[in-house]
Amino acid sequence: MNRKLIIRVLGAILCIEAIAMIPALAVSFVHRDGDSMALGVSVLLAGIIGVCLFFGVKTDKSSHLRLKEGFIIVALGWFLLSLFGALPFMLSGILPRFEDAFFEAVSGFTTTGASVVTDFDHFPRGVMLWRATTHWIGGMGVLVLTLALLPKLTGRTAHLVKAESPGPSLSKLVPKTGETAKILYSIYGVLTAAEFIALVLLGLSPYDAVIHAMATAGTGGFSNYGASIAAFQSVPVEMTVSLFMFLFGINFALYFKFIMGDHIKAFYRDEEFRWYFFIVVLSVVSISLLNLGYYHGDYLTSLRYTVFTVCSTISTTGFVVTDYSLWPVTSQMIILLIMLIGSCAGSTAGGMKVIRISMVFKMSRRTIRAAGHPQKVEVVRIDRKAVDETTLSQVAQFALMYIAVWLVGAFLLSFDGKYDLLTHLTASLTCVSNVGPGLGAVGPVYNFAGYGIFSKLVSSLLMLFGRLELLPMFIMFTRSAWHQY
Amino acid sequence: MRIIVIGAGKVGYALAEHLIDEEHDVTVIDRNEDVISRCSSSLDVLCLKGNGANAKILLESGVEKADLVIAATENDETNMLACLISKRLGAPYTICRIRDPEFNESQMLLQNELGIDVAINPERATALEISRLLRYPFAGSIESFAKGQVEMVEFRASEKDPFIGIPVKKLSEDIPSMPKVLYAMAERNNQVMIPTGDFVFMPGDRVFVSGDMLKITEYFRFLGRNRQKVRSVMILGGGRISYYLSRFIVPMGIHVTLFEMNQEKARALSELLPKVDVIWGDGTDEDLIEEQGLSQMDAFISLSNRDEENLISGLHASRCGVPKVIVKNSRLTHLDILSDLGLDSVISPQFITTSTILRYVRARGNRYGTKIERLYRLVDGKAEAMEFIAVKGEPYIGIPLKDLVIRKGTLVAVIVRQNKVIVPFGNDHIEAGDHVVIISCESGVSDLNEVVYR
Repeated sequence: MNRKLIIRVLGAILCIEAIAMIPALAVSFVHRDGDSMALGVSVLLAGIIGVCLFFGVKTDKSSHLRLKEGFIIVALGWFLLSLFGALPFMLSGILPRFEDAFFEAVSGFTTTGASVVTDFDHFPRGVMLWRATTHWIGGMGVLVLTLALLPKLTGRTAHLVKAESPGPSLSKLVPKTGETAKILYSIYGVLTAAEFIALVLLGLSPYDAVIHAMATAGTGGFSNYGASIAAFQSVPVEMTVSLFMFLFGINFALYFKFIMGDHIKAFYRDEEFRWYFFIVVLSVVSISLLNLGYYHGDYLTSLRYTVFTVCSTISTTGFVVTDYSLWPVTSQMIILLIMLIGSCAGSTAGGMKVIRISMVFKMSRRTIRAAGHPQKVEVVRIDRKAVDETTLSQVAQFALMYIAVWLVGAFLLSFDGKYDLLTHLTASLTCVSNVGPGLGAVGPVYNFAGYGIFSKLVSSLLMLFGRLELLPMFIMFTRSAWHQY
Repeated sequence: MRIIVIGAGKVGYALAEHLIDEEHDVTVIDRNEDVISRCSSSLDVLCLKGNGANAKILLESGVEKADLVIAATENDETNMLACLISKRLGAPYTICRIRDPEFNESQMLLQNELGIDVAINPERATALEISRLLRYPFAGSIESFAKGQVEMVEFRASEKDPFIGIPVKKLSEDIPSMPKVLYAMAERNNQVMIPTGDFVFMPGDRVFVSGDMLKITEYFRFLGRNRQKVRSVMILGGGRISYYLSRFIVPMGIHVTLFEMNQEKARALSELLPKVDVIWGDGTDEDLIEEQGLSQMDAFISLSNRDEENLISGLHASRCGVPKVIVKNSRLTHLDILSDLGLDSVISPQFITTSTILRYVRARGNRYGTKIERLYRLVDGKAEAMEFIAVKGEPYIGIPLKDLVIRKGTLVAVIVRQNKVIVPFGNDHIEAGDHVVIISCESGVSDLNEVVYR
């Protein structure tokens, strides 16, 4: 195993985390909410340890990263990132217990947005900004950021991006991984800035706008208000946030194609986008009609809340404008389904990803057809190109494992005897899919504060499993991963 | 540069690997899913699955913005088509691998009509390399620099050689009669070293000396090595390399005995090569080749399709006392083992093709800012030789080399000034416009002022 290289990359990750904390530190100096000390100590700790690891170890330029090591770096890196990311919460005394702080940090980096915070009124603003920053970094991925900033750390960096980026296959934009990472982050940055400007123009304070723009960009869902977006009670704000949640659920490669001269056809020619768009429209239409009764026949009100909730759920953001657990049961069921599906591969969103759902759908259709014609040869096509059978079988296995992780998670959560089955099932799903709110006791107007230590740690793990798309986490638990060779 | 490599076989893969090291943006196109997934997981390149002669795939790879297209698939026709289409789509420069001798006949016409800027024939290039080795049978390998004015010859030091056991800096004092050449590199236990003044050669080292042709010849005459001259050669296998090789060496007055198992092929060869003794039979049959006079041969060249067969035959020939044995190896790695067994000249067509193509890419790259005129890969890629042109106004100009700092692991091997070759010693200096050949054990040198500075 290439221990030295792994340690160096982990060091680089910590350095980047320290740098990412600096804006929060600056804000804490301005507002003097008493969190400067906590953030300062966190920056120093992460920075010093990061620099020591990065510069303390010498690696060969020629040393290559093996595929397995790529997975290990990603899994360990995210774990470390969350550990150090929890420091500001603990040290500032907002979440003094380790499991709470760790849960909050994991929830931030995995862009879940599930929270254990109950008191939003006395939340120091510096740490609050850090809470939103974790979303922004976690959305596109910290290793992608590392590669964008530190080129030529090692050969074969594609492994790292592959292990961190969501979706069944990695779509590089340009030949070099480092360049691809830079382009992705530029697109990400521009879109975030666009949302920030839009929100400021709609009358939000710059501080609120930054927090909500970063939380939308990472499709996270942390708000600095307990009531989430509902705190603003403004239709334009809701629609803007909805639009951006929808946009951040699209594969970023399409934005690149859009800029490179494909214009609007980059989107409608992409099969995954068409599925995504179709699912959103279908969900919005059906839920808004189902909710007519609940909203006393006021279709516009129904549409307003439905659009926001659907965009928030399918993009796995988890912002809340209304308590959808009061909606008709069928509407709630649709919400759960799109929670499972999630958005496009190569976006910042979670879930199983639309492309996988469409492949599973086409595979099932093929199996059913083949039942009558066993000799028939049929390929599964995406974007009119045949998908090879290895990818298909990987996708099918992923779907099964995903559901297994969800159910096992729910089983483990059920030891926490306080709540009913619906709570445990949706809590597990919302963690694996990185959404945030579930139903029942973890519903839109509640959060995870009521769970015990064990359940919080299980949920944290579930979020990491979901964000890293299972494999890196599973590999960590195999013996061969730690085998010296 | 933006480079598209079509076909990621042995040559394509090795090319892509080197091009990335040289910081180019590489896109690889191959039809085989497995090859593509191997490339995308181990190389930092953009991979596309599809036929390289398909305009749609080429457009997808951004051919219109590419600086260079290299077609290196197994199939000549695909390569030619790919180059033709790429050129029409706007690629400014194309390099094409063409191996069929039939196409070779009409090469100029094809090149002009198809828009191929460089056509590489791996078999022909390999045959050329072998013929050079036959000219200097004592050498394991020969490289020529600066348009052939300077040569670097590799040979294995033996106990009888006079320079054994004397530090390099004392050689000219202790053996004044020995012609002055530059000891450019030494390989010992698979480690390539640049000899410093205190370096002492040991028997068994692979020694690389460089100098102009005259000096080199004198040097080997002094060592008593040029007495062997190749007059008769036995070749195993009647493939394309054998055909080209026979065409090259028969006019040099060398007698060729060629073994081919396939009767029709043997007939065809005998038709094409009238002066060659073509034997229809299995060249690995010891009795048969002994009957044809193996032990009297000056050289034995094994060029069959099977690497293992080549190696065994080569070992056998060298045990029978054939002074020069050359074997072809296309697939096997860890060739270092072979030199322990006494096989110094192992030829790999893939390696030669890759080096040749890289040389063209380098020359092309000059326009885009790299200062290297030409690049040579030495000792299985463990070292590199680079040709630079010294630029006016650089800090190293006009200063004796002994007063300059020279980067570790590198050596100023040769200076060519107005067609005069200077083997540089401490008092020599570099002038503007000089061609300077640098030898380096590590890659990553891209400018002369990274090697010599004050």
